[in-house]
Amino acid sequence: MKNSCSSVATLLEKYFDQEVTDEERSLAEGHLQDCPACRDALESMEELRTLVRVPVEKAVQKEDFPWVWQKIEKEIRLQKKQTWWQSLRSWLDVTPLLKRKVWIPAVAAAVVSLFISTQIIFKETPSYPDGSVVEYVESQSDNVMVYQLEEPKVTVIWLFEGPEEEGTTT
Amino acid sequence: MKRVGFLLAAFFIFSLFPISTASAQVPVRMRVIQASNVGHNIDPSLKDVHHELGSLFSFTSYRLLREENVSLSQNHPVTITAHPGRFLEVNLVGLQRDAAKLRIRVIREGKDILDTQVRLSPGRTVLIGGPRHGEGVVIYAVSARF
Repeated sequence: MKNSCSSVATLLEKYFDQEVTDEERSLAEGHLQDCPACRDALESMEELRTLVRVPVEKAVQKEDFPWVWQKIEKEIRLQKKQTWWQSLRSWLDVTPLLKRKVWIPAVAAAVVSLFISTQIIFKETPSYPDGSVVEYVESQSDNVMVYQLEEPKVTVIWLFEGPEEEGTTT
Repeated sequence: MKRVGFLLAAFFIFSLFPISTASAQVPVRMRVIQASNVGHNIDPSLKDVHHELGSLFSFTSYRLLREENVSLSQNHPVTITAHPGRFLEVNLVGLQRDAAKLRIRVIREGKDILDTQVRLSPGRTVLIGGPRHGEGVVIYAVSARF
């Protein structure tokens, strides 16, 4: 029995949306074999779907859904009381500045500055034991004696201006 | 533009450290003491070093001739007249975590009768003695407090 196009029109839309039963599918396919007008109508539906789908897919690709989802997650997390560490991690995860990896040169610069400043501060500041106090001693005219005590903490540098001075120290 | 700003900030951070170390000051106490065997007088102002002087030297009398308390900046020497014809010059040449590095010169008639460099930790005193003065000798006591 050949069905009329008007009776199949509703079924054709269900068939296009793949919402038909097996019986309805065989009925629709039987009609489409014999009816060029309905085949044209089905092709038009497919073309229309393609026309709609392509721009929608492009728009979806442009959208940064992970970013949106991160914002939502952040809002959810804010409902709870966060520790400072969780807050920091959340901020690091979401901040666009950090997403652009600006922090890499910033951290590198901080490390370099810390290293250089440490070198500057401690360049001449090794921790010496309280040993040799006198680094050098010179005299253009006199003999010199260096005497060092640890208790009391006293270092003596004695100049011998003349032979008679030699008896003055103990 | 952001990079330029970042470099300027880094330069600013770098520049802070040399300023902070260069501007460090160390309070230094310099005393000129006359030691002799004339009498048995100990200057009351030398009480803090009397024990050290007595354990090191055989003099019986110590008199404070001059005392100077100065704040030394790095490479800014301070000169005092030690006693007629002699000058004591002290220069901070380095500052360490636990010691100040001082260059001390005793100058007589334009000549260095002593040129020395010492590391003074807190609590340590350097005594430079020997130059004759009157009936005794002069002892320079240099200590740093930081």
